[in-house]
Amino acid sequence: MTNLIDPLHMKNMLWLIPCLPLAGAVINGLLGKRLPVRLVHFVGCASVFLAFLISVAGFFTLLGIEEPHQRFLIQPLYQWILTVWHQGSFSLQVAFRLDPLSITLCLVVTGVGFLIHLYSVGYMAGDESQARYFAYLNLFTFSMLLLVLADNLLLMFVGWEGVGLCSYLLIGFWFTDLEKAQAGMKAFIVNRVGDFGFFVGLMLLFWTLFEGSNGTITGLGFQQLRESIPLLNSASPILGVGLATWIGLLFFVGATGKSAQIPLYIWLPDAMAGPTPVSAFIHAATMVTAGVYMIVRLNFLYVIAPAAMAVVAVVGGVTAFYAATIALTQNDIKRVLAYSTISQLGYMFLAVGVAAFSTGIFHLVTHAFFKALLFLGAGSVIHAVHSNDMLEMGGLKKYMPHTYLTFMAAYLAISGIPPFSGFVSKDEILWATFNSHLPVAGLGKALWALGLLTAGLTAFYMTRLVALTFMGGFRGGLEKEKHLHESPSVMTFPLMALAVLSVVGGVIGLPAVTHLPNLLHDFLGPVLSSHGASGHQAHAYWLELLLMLISIGVATTGIYLGWLFYVKRPELPGKVAARFAKMYQVLEQKYYVDEIYQALFVRPLLKLVALSGRFDLNTIDGAVNLSSRVTAKFSFLIGWEDLKIVDGAVNGLAEIFKRWGAALRHLQTGKIQHYLYSVVLGIFGLCVFMFLF
Amino acid sequence: MIPENFIQSNLQGISFIGPELILTLAILLILLVGVLLPYWRHRILFTILAVAGLAGSVLPLWKLPQPAPDLTYLSNLFVWDWLTFLSKPFFAVVGVLTILLTQVTGEIDNSEYSECTILVLAVTMGMMLLVASTDLLMIYLAFETMGILSYLLVGIRARDERSGEAALKYVLYGAFTSGTMLFGFSLLFGLAGSTDLLAISQKVAFASQHPQDRLLLIVAILFFLAGLLFKTASFPFHFWCPDVYEGAPTPITAFLSVGPKAAGFVLFIRLFYPLFATGHDATIYEAVSGLDWPSILALVSAITMTLGNLAAIHQNNLKRLLAYSSIAHAGYLLMGIVSLSDLGLRSVVFYLVVYLFMNVGAFAVVAMVASAGGSEEIDSYRGLGARAPYVCVAMAIFLFSLIGLPPFAGFVGKVYLFAAVIYKKIYWLAVVAALNTVISLYYYLRIVKAMFLEKPTETIQIQVPLSSRVLLLALLVPTLGLGIYWQPLARVVSGMF
Repeated sequence: MTNLIDPLHMKNMLWLIPCLPLAGAVINGLLGKRLPVRLVHFVGCASVFLAFLISVAGFFTLLGIEEPHQRFLIQPLYQWILTVWHQGSFSLQVAFRLDPLSITLCLVVTGVGFLIHLYSVGYMAGDESQARYFAYLNLFTFSMLLLVLADNLLLMFVGWEGVGLCSYLLIGFWFTDLEKAQAGMKAFIVNRVGDFGFFVGLMLLFWTLFEGSNGTITGLGFQQLRESIPLLNSASPILGVGLATWIGLLFFVGATGKSAQIPLYIWLPDAMAGPTPVSAFIHAATMVTAGVYMIVRLNFLYVIAPAAMAVVAVVGGVTAFYAATIALTQNDIKRVLAYSTISQLGYMFLAVGVAAFSTGIFHLVTHAFFKALLFLGAGSVIHAVHSNDMLEMGGLKKYMPHTYLTFMAAYLAISGIPPFSGFVSKDEILWATFNSHLPVAGLGKALWALGLLTAGLTAFYMTRLVALTFMGGFRGGLEKEKHLHESPSVMTFPLMALAVLSVVGGVIGLPAVTHLPNLLHDFLGPVLSSHGASGHQAHAYWLELLLMLISIGVATTGIYLGWLFYVKRPELPGKVAARFAKMYQVLEQKYYVDEIYQALFVRPLLKLVALSGRFDLNTIDGAVNLSSRVTAKFSFLIGWEDLKIVDGAVNGLAEIFKRWGAALRHLQTGKIQHYLYSVVLGIFGLCVFMFLF
Repeated sequence: MIPENFIQSNLQGISFIGPELILTLAILLILLVGVLLPYWRHRILFTILAVAGLAGSVLPLWKLPQPAPDLTYLSNLFVWDWLTFLSKPFFAVVGVLTILLTQVTGEIDNSEYSECTILVLAVTMGMMLLVASTDLLMIYLAFETMGILSYLLVGIRARDERSGEAALKYVLYGAFTSGTMLFGFSLLFGLAGSTDLLAISQKVAFASQHPQDRLLLIVAILFFLAGLLFKTASFPFHFWCPDVYEGAPTPITAFLSVGPKAAGFVLFIRLFYPLFATGHDATIYEAVSGLDWPSILALVSAITMTLGNLAAIHQNNLKRLLAYSSIAHAGYLLMGIVSLSDLGLRSVVFYLVVYLFMNVGAFAVVAMVASAGGSEEIDSYRGLGARAPYVCVAMAIFLFSLIGLPPFAGFVGKVYLFAAVIYKKIYWLAVVAALNTVISLYYYLRIVKAMFLEKPTETIQIQVPLSSRVLLLALLVPTLGLGIYWQPLARVVSGMF
């Protein structure tokens, strides 16, 4: 293949991919209020579209490089951190790395991102703060691209934090609604827990390399990390667990936060408070997959930590199943999709956990297509019905034919019907799990069975969703029925584009059964450790075909049952729910996890907040009221007394700070005589100190 | 009979004080214009003259030979090293920012404006002399040039009682502490028989072996500290700071909080590093044996930052709050002096540069809000975010940077300071500083909260003129830029020591 673009030119253009959306964010953020709305739309969409075009160019440039192992371009922008000490130095650059892995994600982020920006033009029409919306959305795109393109872990962490911030801003976009603002807060706080794990992992990694190399460490670039793997292997274990495992697990804690896995998944369903395109973009297609990307990016680290990999696989598999069971009973259309996202993300972690890294990325890509489409379709429905409750929908097939048709494509894809894209990628995961070599015997087969069961559940709840939304008759009342309408074409065009991708997206990773090349797997090969490919080498043709047929069977069963329950005999679900009332309630209440977290973490924390609030009030009132200087003089003693009496050490500490502060105020008398005395006392005090110690 | 080469070398030496000479010329010119046009109503002419003088003052620096640690001139009164080379433009920038801030805010009347510019230029000249001096006598002269003229600056609003009171306090306090410092100088002179720092440093190492001489040295050091800690507003000589900062016109407060403070820290480095610390390899120093000044300074540093932060919690007047914040920052900066390493000294200089922009920025916002119809009380900031978004966002950025949050410059500066003490294994100080950062979060964010989350109590319209916005932008760019790309500054700073 000849090179259309000189790799050298491409290399110098890399910075444009993230910086174009950044420029969009700056323009819309600073000037947006004064610009005409159309210009705001144009800036928002065009900046992402241009980034997409450059990504496409980058993709072909990479393909044009003959030798697969040379397929990477690194653009160092500037020296970021440089610390020199006598044995060595630590240097980090702000540098972008374009390789098969990052370009795949770039294409998804900018491509799907552009479609969602476009859709937002229609969805957000009439909202008064559209400039803010597009500024946030562009800022998110920038952060995500920074995360994806970063050439070292610390820069990746900057992007990692950036997407979290933007997610918070966008979930709470309609912040005047307290519930929505709280949902944003919840997402942010839960993510902090995960990010803390990530950060501790980062520090542990740095420290291990620093100690292991006798202080001659030079940086945290991915290439350097890959080369310093022997150091990690030779480092002495902590508590009997190898360092690679510790680091891998800590990074995975970060991933469970960002990618909504057990036990930190609880923010994602609430995050649906944000505008629906945001849910599609951030909470389905891109940000939540950052954890998967991170693990694949650090695959060289994970392959030497099989225990960490097993944890990833188990957490992924269990989350997939667990979230799918909750999705069975939810009535809010976006919540069903949110739990479905958690479940599908579980699949991806299952894939990377069994070392099928390229398969994980494959499912990430196809999921981005069909899940974004599902969310956008749901948004289109919500746009028409003005409600999220599926019980107030029904029969929309008639009113919204385009939405319905495109939604069906995504529905078939996620349910795992061949040849739709979701089937191909999900089946590859199941096959890789079946073939995996996890440290515990039989674990692979058990996870496969769990994954298969989840596939059935997925087909069932998606059928339920489609039946409740599009089939039967409209249940929202006559008044609403009059106003039902298809969404404008600026919204349906992205739906169609995504529908095409959902249908044919599977061709980039065809299974071995077809005897056609698995394009994505071959493309990503150079980035992945050789170990990662093992799942595919030991393939047995007939076994794979058999498993494939089983999974198709399970999917069709799920769909049949769904059809039976919600179309053919609508009285059945009520009966089943009554028969298994306890279980149904547990599912409907999402296993009461929110309540448990509330009791364990939130309420104690709120207590603390109330205490601080009291402290705040006291400081301000107290400053006015403390008229007697005697109080101040004894404040220290009183502070100690309070410490014993008042409920909780924190409150006591706050009290002490407060009183000290108050005491300090009284030292500041404003009289110059006192000040001059203080000079004498100061010198005297320093003398005493110097001679005594 | 004066030898010929003496005259020659002194004539050559004059070129090294080019900046100061140019500033003197500018002062004379403004004085002349002020006399010729006594009823001149436009400030702009004085502003242009002063800014041109300050800008012109740094031009000769690039004509001079490469700085070197042992390149002294004018009979060893001054040294031409990297610290001097970089400090002079720094003070010129401080001067320019102050002049511009006075220009855009209306706090100083037209009748006093020309005097104000003259004084700012003169204090700047004093600071430039101070950082280059290596002779006790010259140090004291420059120190007082800077000091006495800044007392005048504080009291420039002659008819304002608060301003007068602040000036008086500043004078008395300053006289007291600088007298003490002078006493310390005289002790040192008595001991060493010379006023030249290099000559003294050789005697000090020798004198510290003898118990009586050591006693004298300790007393001398403590008396130095009185002057230095006064200028940098550190415990226990910080009491003047909140009163003076509150009473002075805000642009002058901004000036004091970065100019003389930075000069104080440079003097710290100048006095302590050749005199009482010896470099035993290229990067690490040791205190002269028997003189344990680093541990006493470490204690001073910890108390200063804790005290500043705790006292700031209660303040409702923003100038007072920022005064305490500047005390706390003196505590942070002392960490770099304590750490006895090049890393520490570099981090002090780095932080001073960063601090210049963010602190002047915060004071600039206070001045602008006050002159646009608000007040300095936190009450007039309630709900200001909606009415003056640009100014408030700028203020938030300056405050975030003062806290030390990424991606702002203050974060990077703090990282360097923390790294310096951790590198020296003074962990307790690092922990105290980290806790202090958390405390400081509280009162800085109180302002941010008032601006963006609270409902306005008064409905005055805040109109900030374009010139103010441009000035704020000029301060925002380095505050943000140095947080993202600080290598150029780090490289420059690491060339110094």
